[in-house]
Amino acid sequence: MATDPTTESMTDRKPDTKDAPYRKPGEVAGGIVTLKNVTKTFFRGKEPIKVLEGLDLDVPAGSFEALMGPSGSGKSTLLNLIAGLDRPTSGEVMVAGANLSRMSDGELAKWRSQTIGFVFQSFNLIPVLTAAQNVELPLLLTSLGGADRKKRVATALRVVGLEDRMDHYPRQLSGGQEQRVAIARAIVNDPKIIVADEPTGDLDRKSADDVLTLMDKLNKELGKTIFMVTHDPAAAEKASVQRKLDKGALQ
Amino acid sequence: MNLATYARRNLFRRKGRTILTVLAVAVAVLIFSAIRTVGVTFNAAADDALSDRLATRHKVSITMQLPRRYIDDIRAVPGITSATASNWFGAKDPKERVPFFAGFAADDKWFEVFDDMKVDPAQLAEWKTTPNGVILGDILAKTFEVKPGDRLTITSDIYPGDWEFKVIGIYTPLRRTVDRNSLVLHWEYLNNDPRAALTKDQIGWVMTRIGGGVKSADMSRTIDKIFDERDDQTVTMSERAFNLSFIGAFGAVLTAFDLVSIVILLIMMLILANTIAMSVRERTNEYGVLRAIGFAPRHIVAFVLGESVLIAFVGGLVGVLLVQVLINLGIGPFIETNMASMFPYFRTPPSVMLTALGLALGLGLLAGVIPARGASRLKVTDALRRTD
Repeated sequence: MATDPTTESMTDRKPDTKDAPYRKPGEVAGGIVTLKNVTKTFFRGKEPIKVLEGLDLDVPAGSFEALMGPSGSGKSTLLNLIAGLDRPTSGEVMVAGANLSRMSDGELAKWRSQTIGFVFQSFNLIPVLTAAQNVELPLLLTSLGGADRKKRVATALRVVGLEDRMDHYPRQLSGGQEQRVAIARAIVNDPKIIVADEPTGDLDRKSADDVLTLMDKLNKELGKTIFMVTHDPAAAEKASVQRKLDKGALQ
Repeated sequence: MNLATYARRNLFRRKGRTILTVLAVAVAVLIFSAIRTVGVTFNAAADDALSDRLATRHKVSITMQLPRRYIDDIRAVPGITSATASNWFGAKDPKERVPFFAGFAADDKWFEVFDDMKVDPAQLAEWKTTPNGVILGDILAKTFEVKPGDRLTITSDIYPGDWEFKVIGIYTPLRRTVDRNSLVLHWEYLNNDPRAALTKDQIGWVMTRIGGGVKSADMSRTIDKIFDERDDQTVTMSERAFNLSFIGAFGAVLTAFDLVSIVILLIMMLILANTIAMSVRERTNEYGVLRAIGFAPRHIVAFVLGESVLIAFVGGLVGVLLVQVLINLGIGPFIETNMASMFPYFRTPPSVMLTALGLALGLGLLAGVIPARGASRLKVTDALRRTD
C-alpha cells in the first residue's frame, strides 16, 4: 500500500500529554490489552447470569485477534469490555495503558474517542450524512480545524479505497462500500485498537473478502491491534490469533 | 461540517412528520394569538380611553335614567370644559346589513366631548340645526350606502316603528379605537317624539371633559356630591372605568378564553414531545454509535433539545406569519368593518405574537427534556443492541 505523510501520521501517533491520566506505565506489564480475573454478570430480573467468569487475557500490540464461539458465549461482552463500552463486575481491564475499571463514564467516552475505532455488523452509518461527513464525525470531538479534518477524512477514505465516494450518502453505496466507510470512520482518529463486531456478517462473500483484506492491511501496514468477533471461519482465518469462547471462558 | 449540521439534517429525516409537527405548532400559535387578540382588542377601547373624559350615570345602574336638568348642573361645575347628555337609542338596521351598531341620542355638545370623532365643521353646523339629522361613522355609512343629504330609515328595539332621518355628516376616527360604526341623532328629536314618552326629559348618562390640572378623581367626587341629597344619586368615573363596566361580564369569558389558549399550547407541547420521542426511539441505535465513538451524554441532550426547539421555532414563525396574513390582513379588517361596536380595532399586536413565539420556544424546550434525558441515559451497549 502506498503511504503518504498523512497516512503515516495515523501510525506514528505521538503520546499526547492530554492522555497522561490514562497512561500509567507502571500498571502495564506487557500487552496492549490485559484482562485479569475478569467476571461479568448480568441480571435478568433478580436472576444473575454470569457471562464471563475469571477471564485472563494478555494481547500484545499489533495483534489481529479473532474471537469466536457460539451465541451467548460472551464474545460481544468481552469486546465491549475491551472497547470501554462496559465495565467488568470484578477484575481489571487494562487497555492501552488505562485501567478502564477505574474510569468514569466521561473519561471512558474521551478515552474511546482517542483509542478505539469501532466497526459494527450493520455498518451504523448516519443516513443523513455523506460518506465524508460520517468519517468526519469522530473528529468533531477533537480540536482539529476544518482544513485538518478534511485532510484526515480524505486520507482515511483513500486508505479504504473510497476517495471517489466522499459525497455519496449511505443509501447510494453498496453494503461493502458502507462497511469500508465505517472502517474509515474507525481509523480517522488514528486509534491504537480497532474492535469489529461481526464486520462481515451482513456482507456477501466478495464484499466480506474485501473488508477482511482491508482489515488485514490495517493490521499489517498501519500496525493497528484488531479484535474481531466473528462466526465466519473464513474471516477468522485472516486473524493472526483465533480465540474461542465457550460459556464465558476462553478455550 | 459541524455538530449543527447533523442536528439540522435530522429534521428532514421524516419530512412528512416534521412538516405536520411544524404545522401543529403553527396552528397552535395561530389559535393562541387569535384568542389573545380577542381579549387584547376587547380591552383596547378601555385601555385607550382618554384620562380627561369622565362618565356620570345613575348610581344604581346604567339602565336607570337621570333627570335632564343634571346636565346643566354638571356643566356649571368649574373645571368642566364640555359635557354632553345622551340616551341609548337601541338602533337596528331594518335591512339587517349590519348585526349591531351603536345609536346615541345626544345633545349637540356630543362632538365637542368626543372630539376624536372628526366631523366636517359645515356638516356639524348643519346637524345642529336639523332636528332629524344624523351623523354616522364612515364604515356604517359605507355599509348603509348613504352620503350626506340621503334619507335613512332605521328602527329601534326601545322605541317602536320606523325612524326617518336625514344623513347630515360622516365622522372619521382620529384614534384607532373610535367606533366607526355608530350613529348620533338629536336627543331633542327623540325627546319630542311620543314614542319616547316613558323617558321624557330623562337622560341615560353624561360624558364630560375636564380642563388641564383638574384631577379626574377629584372631579368625580365633586360631581357626585352635587346629587348626593337628591332622589337620583350619581356615580362618576373615568371613561376607562365606564368602558370596563360594560365588558365586566365578558371578563369571565375572556378569562376562560385565556385558559383555553394555554391548553392549546400545552396540547402543542404534547404533540411535539410525541414527535421527538418517536424520533429518539428510531435513532436509539444511532445515539449508541455516537456514544461509542466518544460523544458525551450532553451532546445527545443537545441534539434532541436542539431538534425540538428548532421545530418549535420554525412552527412558531409559520404561526406568526399565519397570524399576520389571516388575522391582521384577513379577518381583522373584516371584523373592524362588521363588528366595529365590539371591536373597533381587531389586530394582533406584536407583543402577542412575540409571546406566542416565546411560549412555543419554551414549550418546545420542555417537550424535548424527557426524550433527551432518556436518550442521554441509555447504556451504550443497550442502545447499540436496539434495532427498532
